[in-house]
Amino acid sequence: MPKQTMTRKSSDNPYLHKDFHILLNHGIDYLHKNIGEEAVREYLTQFASAYYSPFKRDIKNKGLLAIKEHYERIYEIEGALFDINFSQDELIIHLQASPAVMHIKAKGHPVSELYRETVATVIKTICQDTTYDSEMLEYHEDNGAYRIRFFRRKK
Amino acid sequence: MISCTEFIPAYSELFKYLEKKRGKTAVVDFWNYLSDIYLTNLKDFIAENGIRGCWIYWSTTLEEEAADFSMELDEEAGEFYITMHRCPSKGRLLEYKHILPYPDYCEHCDMLYRRVLEPLGYTYDLDRSQTDQARCRLSIKVIKN
Repeated sequence: MPKQTMTRKSSDNPYLHKDFHILLNHGIDYLHKNIGEEAVREYLTQFASAYYSPFKRDIKNKGLLAIKEHYERIYEIEGALFDINFSQDELIIHLQASPAVMHIKAKGHPVSELYRETVATVIKTICQDTTYDSEMLEYHEDNGAYRIRFFRRKK
Repeated sequence: MISCTEFIPAYSELFKYLEKKRGKTAVVDFWNYLSDIYLTNLKDFIAENGIRGCWIYWSTTLEEEAADFSMELDEEAGEFYITMHRCPSKGRLLEYKHILPYPDYCEHCDMLYRRVLEPLGYTYDLDRSQTDQARCRLSIKVIKN
């Protein structure tokens, strides 16, 4: 059998490794079962505060439009079906099925009981120290579908 | 939803969180857990295809991760190599201006895969001397009796 070689440049392929959803799910599950429920929220808060700090700056500058653009961008990358109702003081996002949850299940991995915190804790954290707040209106464990609402805080 | 394109910083922050909470041992315990629960496909590919299983596994994952790499398989010699010219994960972490990578981030690659390969009869050597530039070289060889 001759030697086989393969060479690729990063520009040869799109960056979309959906199995990363499975790894995050295992991370959430590991924290939950080994350290506790609060550790999941604490970790996600740490991650979201650090990683989304430029996004939080955008929210302060552009308001709800920044949030709308962020979710549109990631849903389009993931090929998600969604709809958005956007006004000056309120943004409602409806994700019809989570590509993350669907991928985790399709690959035969159980979805962590606290996987919803990747939505609930993250939306709370990105709104911290801004003039906006958020709430989760619906979450469906079976496919990860959700409706989330962002709105201007009352003074 | 956290996109899979945002996973690498989430992974790095998870290692930081575990170490801060329970020390480095907790990070290593987590890597061992992930290896056992997640890398079953690599194990299956190798069980079915021998060292070619490495080629099958990494040719898919590295393309999906848009890595900049060269890969070489020599089945007669029982050898498989990956030269990572620019790791998509470490490369991303180094590019971020607002977060620092977990200091031992690249160690997870050594731990996770070694744990699968060595019990199956392979040597596993990961040269991490240039990971500060998102480069590494992996050598996997069949242990000959």
